[in-house]
Amino acid sequence: MAPKHYRPAGKKKEGNAARYMTRSQALKHLQVNLNLFRRLCIVKGIFPREPKKKVKGNHHTYYHVKDIAFLHHEPLLEKFREIKTYQKKVLKAKAKKNEELARLLLTRQPTYKLDRLILERYPTFIDALRDLDDCLTMVHLFAVLPASDREKLEVKRVHNCRKLSHEWQAYILRTHALRKVFVSVKGIYYQAEVEGQKITWLTPHAIQQVFTNDVDFSVLLTFLEFYETLLAFINFKLYRSLNVKYPPILDSRLEALAADLYALSRYIDASARGMVVEPKVDASSSSQSNDREESELRLAQLQHQLPSSEPGALMHLVADNNKEVEEDEETRVCKSLFKDLKFFLSREVPRESLLFVLPAFGGMVSWEGEGAPFKEDDDSITHHIIDKPSAGHLYLSREYVQPQWIYDCVNARIILPTEKYMVGRVPPPHLSPFVDNEAEGYVPDYAEQIKRLQAAARNKVLPLPGVGKEDLEDPQNLLYAGVMSRAEEAEAAENKKKMAAKEKQYHEELKLELKKGKGIVVDGEAEAEGEEEESAPNADNNQIAEDNAAMAKVTMPRKKRKLYDAMKMGQEKRNEGINRIKERKNKLKNAAQE
Amino acid sequence: MSKKTEEIDEDKMRETRTKCKNDSAKSKKQKQVVKEVKPVEKEVKSLKEEDLLVDSGADSDDDGDSLCGSLNSDDFDSDMFDSEDDGSQRETEDGDGESSEDKVHGHEGLDDNDEENEQVDSENGEEDGIDEDSEQGEVVEESDSSEDEVAPRNTVGDVPLEWYKDEKHIGYDITGKKITKKEKQDKLDSFLATMDDSKNWRKIYDEYNDEEVELTKEESKLIRRMLRGEAPHADFDPYAPYVDWFKWDDAIHPLSSAPEPKRRFIPSKWEAKKVVKYVRAIRKGWIKFDKPEEEPSVYHLWGDDSTLDQKSKHLTYIPPPKLKLPGHEESYNPSLEYIPTEEEKASYELMFEEDRPKFIPKRFTSLRSIPAYENALKESFERCLDLYLCPRVRKKRINIDPESLKPKLPSRKDLRPYPNSCYLEYKGHTGPVTSISTESSGQWIASGSTDGSVRIWEVETGRCLKTWQFDEAVKCVAWNPLSDFPILAVAMGRDLVILNTELGTDEEQNTIKELLNLGNLPEQSTSVAAIVSWLPDEIYGGIKIRHFKNISYIHWHRKGDYLSTVMASGETRGVVTHQISKKLTDKLPFKIRGLPVCTVFHPSRSFIFIATRKNVRVYDLLKADGPIKKLETGMREISSMAIHPGGDNLIVGSKEGKMCWFDMDLSSKPYKTLKNHPKDITNVAFHRSYPLFASCSVDSTAYVFHGKVYNDLNENPLIVPLEILRGHSTKSNGGGVLDCKFHPRQPWLFTAGADSIIKLYCH
Repeated sequence: MAPKHYRPAGKKKEGNAARYMTRSQALKHLQVNLNLFRRLCIVKGIFPREPKKKVKGNHHTYYHVKDIAFLHHEPLLEKFREIKTYQKKVLKAKAKKNEELARLLLTRQPTYKLDRLILERYPTFIDALRDLDDCLTMVHLFAVLPASDREKLEVKRVHNCRKLSHEWQAYILRTHALRKVFVSVKGIYYQAEVEGQKITWLTPHAIQQVFTNDVDFSVLLTFLEFYETLLAFINFKLYRSLNVKYPPILDSRLEALAADLYALSRYIDASARGMVVEPKVDASSSSQSNDREESELRLAQLQHQLPSSEPGALMHLVADNNKEVEEDEETRVCKSLFKDLKFFLSREVPRESLLFVLPAFGGMVSWEGEGAPFKEDDDSITHHIIDKPSAGHLYLSREYVQPQWIYDCVNARIILPTEKYMVGRVPPPHLSPFVDNEAEGYVPDYAEQIKRLQAAARNKVLPLPGVGKEDLEDPQNLLYAGVMSRAEEAEAAENKKKMAAKEKQYHEELKLELKKGKGIVVDGEAEAEGEEEESAPNADNNQIAEDNAAMAKVTMPRKKRKLYDAMKMGQEKRNEGINRIKERKNKLKNAAQE
Repeated sequence: MSKKTEEIDEDKMRETRTKCKNDSAKSKKQKQVVKEVKPVEKEVKSLKEEDLLVDSGADSDDDGDSLCGSLNSDDFDSDMFDSEDDGSQRETEDGDGESSEDKVHGHEGLDDNDEENEQVDSENGEEDGIDEDSEQGEVVEESDSSEDEVAPRNTVGDVPLEWYKDEKHIGYDITGKKITKKEKQDKLDSFLATMDDSKNWRKIYDEYNDEEVELTKEESKLIRRMLRGEAPHADFDPYAPYVDWFKWDDAIHPLSSAPEPKRRFIPSKWEAKKVVKYVRAIRKGWIKFDKPEEEPSVYHLWGDDSTLDQKSKHLTYIPPPKLKLPGHEESYNPSLEYIPTEEEKASYELMFEEDRPKFIPKRFTSLRSIPAYENALKESFERCLDLYLCPRVRKKRINIDPESLKPKLPSRKDLRPYPNSCYLEYKGHTGPVTSISTESSGQWIASGSTDGSVRIWEVETGRCLKTWQFDEAVKCVAWNPLSDFPILAVAMGRDLVILNTELGTDEEQNTIKELLNLGNLPEQSTSVAAIVSWLPDEIYGGIKIRHFKNISYIHWHRKGDYLSTVMASGETRGVVTHQISKKLTDKLPFKIRGLPVCTVFHPSRSFIFIATRKNVRVYDLLKADGPIKKLETGMREISSMAIHPGGDNLIVGSKEGKMCWFDMDLSSKPYKTLKNHPKDITNVAFHRSYPLFASCSVDSTAYVFHGKVYNDLNENPLIVPLEILRGHSTKSNGGGVLDCKFHPRQPWLFTAGADSIIKLYCH
């Protein structure tokens, strides 16, 4: 008897057997070991595929033959081999105690570059932005990791990660592209919109991270290597779009004070200003302009060095940006959220995050420590961010709030009232801006309050009649609408609302009267009929609904029925979670009442 | 030290030996005399030695080195360089020609090496000098620099003494005669000697020279000091200030008057080789002095024309799915309702690890109290693994409302009339009602129950007209389909009883009585007689047909003359037909595969449908050959079957709650399979005139369907579920609804429940 997959001699393989190969086959084909294969796959972005029919069995990983061929023709493969043999040379020299030769050899090690691969994997800039989430998360994570010999994580790389992440943040800050911020237990999530792409990344809390044993660092480092290169190129492109030279030259004083982001934003600010003046010269003579540019840069640098008593270089950003026309609505909203507000961060506040978020939304910010743009005793400070149970010396001219207030304001896109965020209080729940509450089926209380406030704010800003009337009907929301400076406006709005409510009531009464006058008989009959019709089956409405559902299901073909069942099950599962939350909430409420 | 130098040492030793052959002096002065005889070069050394003796200490090694360097610095420096070169040369692994050079060089360098050696030895020198008298033999053995030593007086040479241990002589003299050992003192003598001579302890026997040596006082002092770890000379100050004895400033002439060796004037071949090598390395670019110009590591990668989309030659890239965005529960300060209670957390522990929630929300009251997330690295790592190890597949996710999957059904209002509400209940049975049957006029229904009673009810009033009581549970009842022939067939156990209901007119009664009279029973064929026997029924005056097995189903032919009974038996004996008029029983002319479940006669043609466990076969009663059609239901176990009055459509109910509709013109596969009941279907029924059919099940519901069959063959039957009829109690020990039948004229449905009630549903 012929074997199961008999193929006549000389006939080529076809189908899934020919199109896919297992990992070990691929290794043999490429003549590499598993480590090298893994590195290649990571760098080239090649992943296993799922063949329709798994010829070799279910427990294998399958790669497409074309993917493997793609790896086979990769010049990097040859380069890796070269490096491997070179390493052997060095080892040999060391083993023979020929230290000098070893040293000499080490200085001439072959190197490789990944830029071509980046272009290959992401032919357009947008493609690269689309896949940037993982890259940013990883780079931000490694920026806070301690360098470790055991894991072969060098200080240089950690610094590079730190630098890249700051550069990225400086760009986002400068273009006001930040949209959402969420402080979670895992870290702080940021979402920015760059060239229409929503990019979300996670930065860990600025606390010493711990190494765990169940992680293979070589994998992580290979990924990191690619991501570092990718992010550098992306930063280059983005900085170029701002007319800023990359890599940036930073004010060493600020850098030493660990205020990289501030230094960067000042740099961008300065060089962008320089560029605006320059472009004509650029066109005429490139070499000259280059020189000039550099001198300009140096000038800017010198400007940095000037005492930073001028209140915040970031101010200029805001001023400058007004000139730029091509801005969408959202950017404008984001840019002006904290406009005219001055913040001061006290020592215990997560400075990195707030220094990023506040200027990104148009606020001016300073901190306790050297190199800060303005001092704590500045009279124009409007908000003092504090994360202690109590503040020491209180200035009456400013408000003392907890940092969560800023994040909540940013997500709500309005200035929230600060009472709940006062120092020493437990702040209201911090809600995720990534959840669509309506779709989820459960709206937390605080989300509703924020919604009402938003509606109120919108009404105040654009007092359109008829918009948001429903929201305004609730007199309760007025309690929250009392934002200090806008108290008067609020009052006016309240009056208006009251008027509107009264008017409405009057209209309704009128209507009722009219009804009674005209067709009391006809209407009554109709209503009675309707009621009768409705009441009769009301008896066991549930049963009927159930029956109807069951009957509709009876005639479905099996395939559709299964799909329907699966969908229903998914819905039920989702509802189950929400119901559990609702139940908990009820319990809490009951407990509070008792 | 290399072997060559050793050789040369030995040469020198020999020289000195010959020189000092006759010299038997022991003292240091004599040694120095010997030294003075040596060439000038050695003088330098002796000088050095003296110096060393003057200020040697614990760190005399360093001193010696520095001294040496200062003495003939140029020479020594070059030597150092040479030796270094030598080393590097060996490292770089050059050819053979160079190795010969090496030898030459080695000779050159020998003197220097020698010097060094001497320096080293001279450090020991003082020690040696002191010990010489006492332990000369050992000294000779130990030291390899010979010229300092007093020439040994024995001619044995450096031969281990144990070779002569048992001999009387110790080596040979120059003429070849044995040198005899001194007579050894025995213990007693030696003891006596110690007793006699108080200075005996100072005497040491020198084995090599075969003599006794007496230590002087100074020597013993020296030894004592050395044992104490002090400098051997009492007047030696280890911490004496350093005095540079050599006046450097006004020295015009070199220290040595020896002519400069030639090698100092010719360039080193080694160096030349080395230089050539370096030159070559520089030329080839292996060694670079200026750092290579660094290309900018980043540049404008995506050109401005990046919008042009080149078709990638490779497979389509599937972008990795993005991570799920965090919800409210991941917040550092979530609303209280998101935090699980203690009990819930405890219950998580009991769960399987896969089911356990991955993330348990926590609450921190302030930002500063958030700790580092312990799984940050791990999650990042897992994401990486997903990215390069997980097969990526594009999956189409159907994002639709599940309700839209339901088929659009015609409005039920348009399909009226159909039974939808319970109108009447017929109560009277004491056990589950297993079977009901409607009379063809629609005035009466008959019912059989497990309590052994058969009842006839008036449909419109619910009055029980008649009751028969039997001993066994009634399995099946069936009215004769002819309206002028009101007889009832009742199956219970092995018996089939044909009862006269006494309902019709007198004339009809007469004919019935005549028919049921078993006066002249015809001869049954032998094979049939083995299965069936016709008997008169004594109690109720009907006919009793006793079968060889329990009857499971009976069905009348439309003409009212034939009646088929089904028994659980294979081959030809499972189904038999009885002809009432002739009182004859016939076996089917063909074999049946498997055990028959139920049979149905075709309403217009001479076909019979026989359902076995899984399939339905259609046989022509007039032909003896196999089935003309086999309908494959695809169900596990058929329980019931009903045929459309048109004869082309058949419904089959199964014990898994499914119902199949067969359109026999269409295919032998079901036209539609309806999964309506969660439990066994007990019976299915067609209405005789309305386009209705029904099924009933042990889940105590009955479904009513609209099932319209069109005359146009191109149009498929329309099946619409209309109503679910409930009402029978669900509790009655898993009975549910056991039978359902339509009223022959009205769109009414009778259902027989296991709760011993019969219900009538009307429109």
